[in-house]
This record gives sequence, structure tokens and C-alpha cells, in this order.
Amino acid sequence: MVDAVFLALSVLTIGSAIVALEIRSLIYGSIALMLTLSGIAGFFLLLDAPFVAMFQLSVYVGSIAVLILFTVMLVRRELIFNKIEDKRRRYAGIGLMLALMLGIGMVIIGSGMKSMETNSPAVDYKKIGSDFLTYYSPALIVMALILAASVVGALTLARREDMTNDQRAN
Amino acid sequence: MSTIAPQFRLSRFIGSLFDIIFWVILIFSLVGLPIVFIILFYIKMPLVNNQMLTPYLAMTWMADPSRTLPIIKSFIHTTLFHVMAFPGFGFAALLAAATIFVERKFLAKIQLRVGPLYCGKIEGILQLMGDGLKLISKEIIIPAKADKPIFWVGPLLFVGTAGAFVSLIPVARGWVVANPTVGLLAVFATIGFFPIISVLTAWAANNKWTFIGGLRALHQMIAFEIPLILSLLSVVILTGTLNLSQIAESQQHYWWIVFAPISAIVFFICIIAELERIPFDLPEAESEIVAGWLTEFSGMMYGLIQLGTYLKLYAFAGLFTVLFLGGWNGPMVWPPFPADIVTNGITIGPVTAKIAGLPLFDQDMLNGTLWFVIKTVGVILLILLPRGVFPRIRIDMLLHTGWYKLIGLAFINIFIALGLLYAGVLGPGGLIQ
Repeated sequence: MVDAVFLALSVLTIGSAIVALEIRSLIYGSIALMLTLSGIAGFFLLLDAPFVAMFQLSVYVGSIAVLILFTVMLVRRELIFNKIEDKRRRYAGIGLMLALMLGIGMVIIGSGMKSMETNSPAVDYKKIGSDFLTYYSPALIVMALILAASVVGALTLARREDMTNDQRAN
Repeated sequence: MSTIAPQFRLSRFIGSLFDIIFWVILIFSLVGLPIVFIILFYIKMPLVNNQMLTPYLAMTWMADPSRTLPIIKSFIHTTLFHVMAFPGFGFAALLAAATIFVERKFLAKIQLRVGPLYCGKIEGILQLMGDGLKLISKEIIIPAKADKPIFWVGPLLFVGTAGAFVSLIPVARGWVVANPTVGLLAVFATIGFFPIISVLTAWAANNKWTFIGGLRALHQMIAFEIPLILSLLSVVILTGTLNLSQIAESQQHYWWIVFAPISAIVFFICIIAELERIPFDLPEAESEIVAGWLTEFSGMMYGLIQLGTYLKLYAFAGLFTVLFLGGWNGPMVWPPFPADIVTNGITIGPVTAKIAGLPLFDQDMLNGTLWFVIKTVGVILLILLPRGVFPRIRIDMLLHTGWYKLIGLAFINIFIALGLLYAGVLGPGGLIQ
């Protein structure tokens, strides 16, 4: 059962990732990207990590994919994309990807992660929280600082002198 | 003599009825029964009266009342029944349908109108059925330049997502379709799909009104999702769990609305915005942009979207009840099942029928469902009420409300909840349990 679900999820994730890269229509491409991200959430569910799976769904599908969709719908295609049709680039990309996957696979297998424990209990989200606040607290602080800096940066970029409001008040 | 069917003859009508019955019985016994028996061999059968039910005995429940009720009882506890009927789709769709009718009458009474009146003689009670039949029988029109796959799939996805949301709401103790440990996060993940579906169907219809409506829906839902999530954090802090059943269980003595009133208010406003109801109904503002992102839908596609909207309304009201109003908790008002019927059986004249497995539902579940439904209907009426009272607000006011005021208000109650927790008043191991 789990094997069948795993295979189905793999086909869905990789297939929709390829579709997201290859399809002409940008909207369908972003929908395929959503499917890929949902498939990854499915992998997290299979790995007994519902907490991460739900965050994957609500953050990646619910927010980031929506932003991509939004951008694609509002911006004219010719302005952002410069089409370069080149067969050799595509083959080079596929070769690079295969080399990268093989390398990572070799590293993982070489590091001794050959067996997996399948019947361990699901990760408790309270444990994740307490770990974050104790052992990983420097990482948490650094993440918070990065996020705060990026929010401040976004606000600075988005700020503009709004003339229309004054006119309306008059 | 009927004017609708001048050739009508009662004898022919009755004859055709018998004809249909004959063919149904013939086809069922020749084709249906073998298929049923083949399927029964692959289904896990329940244990009835300490005896395993085999496919050979499966049909005996029709004639044997001592088997009927245990079989129904075991069926009630299957996942299929949970999904289709009671805490799942059937129950929610029934409440949603009732909501549509009640909304029309309720708003009419507020605005001194009469509302639906003629259909079904008594206060237009059959209006809903008539509307449903009309929607089913209408032609489905697809715009010529629409993006057909997305346009077709949109309403189905909308109803599906609303159904997934409904499945997370616990109705009574142990009566919930899906009970994940991260139930509240699952709710957030589910409601994140609604803006995507709105904006995709709006884009697919290839119409300026739908597209404007879809963009408005996207803006509005994303703006109100963050205060919605933040407003629920105080309840999570106070209970220490994300499981909705446990959150409802933790409110046996007091409701969380007592300690998190600001959260409840913020959450309620966010509900109205997420449901696109007046005063936040900009995505389907009918006097500005025809019907917003629903403009091009016709027939049953519109019906499906409408069903999804009201399922979502029920689910949000149920979520409010579970989080802030104590869920199924309430004083035991449901009368217990008469014990002498269980022990002695029912006596009608000379015959005494002793029926096995009689209390079909236990008292606790019926009482819990009663309280849940009462509270949910109250919340639904509160959600409907602004439609009769308020005008629609401008989009910049809406976004300002969502991004500035509600987020700030939500944080206030988070700090109150943290204070109560660290002072040792509430929460796990607190003074008040």
C-alpha cells in the first residue's frame, strides 16, 4: 500500500515538475508547480511528519504558488521572458541534473544511511517546538532576524509618495 | 381533463408503472444480485450477535429484525458512513441547504419583505427544492474563449475543498471524519486552496468581470488569512494542542471565548471576509462587477459553487463553535433511552418484540450533536445577520482592516493568553482546570 502510494506520488511529483518546466502556457506551468509542491507534502505525510506536510501545503501551495500565479497573470509574458530555443542547453541541463542526483545519491549511500526504520512513531510537533527554543535557538534567532530584515526591506521598496489620497481629502 | 397532457389515461399510467417495476425486479435479480454477492465477498463483514456475518447471511437482515439493527449500527461506525452521511457531507449539506432557505427568509424579515412565499404553500418552504431542480435542469454554458479544463474542474475543486474542510470538524465526542493530531494546521492548509481556485476559475472564464472579481477574492482572502491564523493561536496556546477534538474536550467547564474574546471577534470578522459575505463581498459585488468571479457559471456549475460556499459557511461556523463556544459540551438535556425497552422489549397487544442492539445512538452522542447544532446554527445566523444591515465597504478599507487592525488585535489576545499561561492560571497544570 505504502509502496503504491510512494510510486504514485513520485510519478505525480516528477511528472508535474517536468510539465512545469516544459509546458508553453504559464498558467498551466504554475498549476503543475502546485501539484509538485503538493506531492512533496504527500511525501512528508508518508514519512509520518504531518506537521511539516501541513506547513508545506499552507505555505508553499497556499502562499508561494499563489504569488507565482498572481505574477504570471499580471505581468505580460514578453516582458519577463527572453525565449532561447536550444537543444544543446536542454541536454546539458538533463545531464547536469543526472550528475547532481548521482553525486548526492553516492554521498547519501556512502554516509551509511542504507537502512530506514519504518515503524518509528510520528514526530511530535511539541518536540519540534521545544527543540527550536532550546538547542536550535541561535538558528531560530538568525531566521527571525533575516525575516525581519526582509520585511523591512520589502516595506522600504514598496513605499512611495501617495498623491491621490491628498487629492481625495481635498 | 388535463391541459398539460391531453392524452393522459390513468390505466396506461398505472400499466407503465407496473412495467417499470417488472423490469427493475428482473434486471436486479439477474444482474444486480450476483454483482452484490461478488462485491460482498471482498468486504470486511461485521460481527453480529457474536456471529460473523457471511455473504450468505448478508441478505437475512431484511427479514430478521434481530440482525437489522446490529448491522445498521456497525454500518454507522464505518468510514463510508462518516464521510457520506453523518459528520461528513450529508449532514453538512443538509445544514447548508437549510441555511440557504433560512437566509432568504431571515433577511426578508429584517428588511420587512416577505421572502419566498408561494412555492409549497407554507412560507415558500419548497422554494429551495425548486431552485435546485432549476439549477440541475439548466443548460451549462461554457464561454467560447474560456480555458475549458480549468473552467470545468473549478467548481468540483471548490466543493471538494469545502468537503475536506467539513471533514475536519468534530460534531460530537468521537464523531469526526478525519482526526489528525495537527487538525488546526490542516484547516489552514485547506482554506489556503480557496483563493487559488477562485483566481484560476476567474482567469479561465476569460471575462473582465470574473477576472476583477478573482483578483479581489485573492487580495481579500490572503489579507484575512493571516489574522485568522493569528487569532487562533491564543486558543492553541491555552489548550496546548492542535487537535480540534481535544480543543473541544478542553472546554468542559468554560468556553475559550471567555478568555479570548478579542480573538473570537477577530476570527469572526475573518470568517465573514473569507466567506465573501457582506460587508466584505467585493469579489461578487453584484452592483459593480455583475457577479464577480461567478459571472460565467451557469446551471449546476453555479449550483456546485453555491453548495461549496454554504458548506464552507457551515464549516467555519462549526470551527468557531469548536474553538470558542465549547463544541459539543453542554448540559445533558437529551432524555436517556427507556431501559425497559432494552430489557423487556416492546409490547404491542399480545405480541412482545425484543429487538437486539436497540439504543442505536448513545445518549452522549445525541446530546453532543444537539448542542453542537444549536451553537453552530447560532453562529450561522450571526454570520448571516450583517447582510441585512451593512453596506459593502471599499477595497482599500477592507485591506486596511485586514493587514493593520485585525493583525494588531489578534496579537493583543496572544499576549493575554501567554500572560494567563505563565501566571499559572490556565493551560496545562494551571489553577483553573
